[in-house]
Amino acid sequence: MDILHKERHLLENAASQLISEALRQGADSAEVCGSYGQRSKISLEKQDFHLASTDDGYQLGIRVLKGQQQGFASCNTLEAKELKEIAARAVEIAGFSPENPHFSIQSVSSGKTDHSLEMWDESLSRISLQTQKDWALWMSQEFLKDKRIRLNEGALEVGRGLYSVSNSKGTHQLESETNCNWTLMGMAAEEDNITSFDYFSQISRKSMGIGDKIVSSSRRFRDSLLRNLKTGPATSYKGLVLFSPRAVLDILIDSVVYHLNGRVVLEGSSRWKTNDLGTKVLSPLLFLEDSAWNSDRMSCGLFDREGTPTQDLALIKEGMLTAFLLDHYSAKGLHQSSNGHAVGGPSSAPTVGSHNLSLRGGTQALNTLMAQQTTPQGILWVNRYSGQTDPVTGDFSGVAKGSEWWVNGEFQHCVKETLVSGNVFEALGPCFLSLSQETQVVDSSGESPTALIDGISVTAN
Amino acid sequence: MKDLALRIENILATSPVWVEARFHRRKSQSVQVQSGLVKQAKSNITSGIGIRCLVDGAWGFSSTSDTSTQAIEKALRQAIDCAKSISQLKKASIKTLPTVGIAQGEFILDGYSELEQMPLEKKLQAVIGAEQNVRRLSKNIQTAVCAYNEQFENKIVITTDGARAISRLARNEIRVSAIAADHGEFAEGQHTVGRTGAWECLFAESNFLEMGEKAAKLAVDLLSAPKIPGGLSTLILSPAMVGLLSHEAIGHTVEADFVLSGSVAQGKIGTQVASPLITLCDSGIVKEQAHAGGDLLVDDEGIATQNTTIIKEGILNSYLHNRESAAAFGVAPTGNARAWLYQDEPLIRMRNTYILPGHQTLQEIIESTADGYLVDCPLGGQADSTGEFMFGAQKVMRIEKGKITKLFRGATISGQAFSVLNSVDAVSREFHLDLGAGYCGKGQPAKVDAGGPYIRCRAIIGGVQS
Repeated sequence: MDILHKERHLLENAASQLISEALRQGADSAEVCGSYGQRSKISLEKQDFHLASTDDGYQLGIRVLKGQQQGFASCNTLEAKELKEIAARAVEIAGFSPENPHFSIQSVSSGKTDHSLEMWDESLSRISLQTQKDWALWMSQEFLKDKRIRLNEGALEVGRGLYSVSNSKGTHQLESETNCNWTLMGMAAEEDNITSFDYFSQISRKSMGIGDKIVSSSRRFRDSLLRNLKTGPATSYKGLVLFSPRAVLDILIDSVVYHLNGRVVLEGSSRWKTNDLGTKVLSPLLFLEDSAWNSDRMSCGLFDREGTPTQDLALIKEGMLTAFLLDHYSAKGLHQSSNGHAVGGPSSAPTVGSHNLSLRGGTQALNTLMAQQTTPQGILWVNRYSGQTDPVTGDFSGVAKGSEWWVNGEFQHCVKETLVSGNVFEALGPCFLSLSQETQVVDSSGESPTALIDGISVTAN
Repeated sequence: MKDLALRIENILATSPVWVEARFHRRKSQSVQVQSGLVKQAKSNITSGIGIRCLVDGAWGFSSTSDTSTQAIEKALRQAIDCAKSISQLKKASIKTLPTVGIAQGEFILDGYSELEQMPLEKKLQAVIGAEQNVRRLSKNIQTAVCAYNEQFENKIVITTDGARAISRLARNEIRVSAIAADHGEFAEGQHTVGRTGAWECLFAESNFLEMGEKAAKLAVDLLSAPKIPGGLSTLILSPAMVGLLSHEAIGHTVEADFVLSGSVAQGKIGTQVASPLITLCDSGIVKEQAHAGGDLLVDDEGIATQNTTIIKEGILNSYLHNRESAAAFGVAPTGNARAWLYQDEPLIRMRNTYILPGHQTLQEIIESTADGYLVDCPLGGQADSTGEFMFGAQKVMRIEKGKITKLFRGATISGQAFSVLNSVDAVSREFHLDLGAGYCGKGQPAKVDAGGPYIRCRAIIGGVQS
């Protein structure tokens, strides 16, 4: 951490200056979110190395309250003149904004939880550009081992940075992190047969073992693209459909999270209200949790955007609604306490969101699940989804990308121009049949098993 | 700005390699009102400089928010180091960049000063009034949201091979959304508009109250609308849907970086890819529509934008290029290099993408459709390099024997872009750029616009199966 000592000092000073200036300009209270980051990136494009780049910079955002009026402004420099201007701008905006009784800036406990999180790796923080180039080379060589692979773009980025939240009520939180993030986007092609475009990304906060992770993830991605080259027909039907972990998270869980958002509940737009807590709202097979305490995942930290300590939170237990995602705004309106789910960066006022969602695995082995079907023609396994989901109604409709056709538990071929549609709450309610034991972490973020769901419409060309 | 430009020029004058320096200052302001409460009112300033250089056929890039001479010189040294390091790994060297179209001077679009001088407070009051009006329109409107966003862009692009462009423009956008509820059923209606210019540009077609009325009426009407049956169908796409088709399904496949990666448009220049009724353009300025959302006079490589005809009467005519891809193809750059912020390297991006109008009226096209759907109110869309696309639409109306008979709930439209364009058999004379508050995502966001006439084609609707 000595590496960022100077930057930490500058960030804390700037936050302190902003709060003082806002109070001097007439704010009743003020909160500053700040960040500093350094990153170096090796980019790939069109089967080749494309660019090496570096960037470093600060970002500071100030939220002020005058009574129940809120204003927000942000900038990306530490210049005293600009800091003074954005503090004044935030106070000015609060001055002409109507009152909103739910706004608050609150003192939070010291933020020291009994949990520790390894987000800083000294070795990764000192990694050289040469080592980074080696990692990028391994990724590229492994992915391009097969001549049928087309690399559209990819990148390997190493970063280190600081994130802080402080306010005029005595809250002061600061965290540092290192990370290495690698992504690949591409497709496979054989003569005129081109697969759908696909992508993956993964993160590691430690340098130990990173080479193996890069090579194995690149290999898995390459193999999944090559498998998509075997294409064949699909049949239109309504019935059982298998959802991959990515499809479960993207199509189904995203909509559930919309309705678990405390601000949406407060606005009356959620299908659930606070008196639904403790009641069955989804299939009893579902157990959904959220955690910010896994350093192998994208979004992790010991405190949230308002400085509130984060916590592991069970949202749905055996289909029963057990908690909403709350920040101070929604908690105040719903007469509850924040559970550390204010999210966002320094360039926006806090809002509500999840950290890393996990849907627990079920009881059936994946290969048993894949053998289910209702029509003799087979069953669709939805890999990736390119489509629309209306979180309000739960209706979804979109193209099943890189998806597969299975007959009697055997992979037949991949399908193109095949659409799926249904309703999230029917799918996770009466139509929900089973979950695989095996789960998968998708893009170092959410985790889910494969799901078998009835009542889904499949439209094939 | 001119002082900074001179300072940058002096620093670049000492460089032993090709360098491009891009200063970018963005001031953005936004407000959002929901259910009578101001959810957000904010102001952001982001500024800095990105330095890109070409050494031994490889790119290096470095950026900093500090615009002091010392910081710019440091960024230049870092960019050169980056380029040197990557050049050892690069298989194919980048050729000498073409200088055709290099811009020099000031490039200023109308409306910047007027929009900047109008106080945010006045804009907030208009948004509060519009949101309040939406909730008054029907007892079924449960929630209304109205949001306004504006961006003031100031840029300097200087290259060691002669570009010296100082540009300024302002973009703004409005989103109005209404959620209707009745006996446990919910439906949402939206109206969005995005323009380049002053506040008044947003209201050229509809005033704020009319936008709210459109969103509220759609939400209430959709409450009782049934779900649509799925299958291959005859569709009349509205200008907004045509915009999505032009941008997502065709435009991305002809971006030269995608072409070089093996998109479906590779090797098809000079071949027929669409019905002869189709002429498709991507342009920095659209003569048929003032203040389009993607207007741009000069790109982020310092190349003057132009009107690029991608498809001419069904024949693929041109890809979209930056300076690197233009060198690879041996053609002139088309002014399509765009970067979101100073920290981002310029990528090939679209600006305003549209199909040119035809000769029939919409009414004539509807009357000559025996069985099909009129599709409108896009919800976004995606496509991949194969040209396979997906668009969401909020409003789908059945056409039977030449008449609109029934409204259905939103649906997804899919197909293979060039196959769909080949199936076009009618193009209207009505023309509109109407992508609304849409952004394109390709690693970085980019403000774009798109549109065209009404067109009749064949594509798949993703609906329910019995």
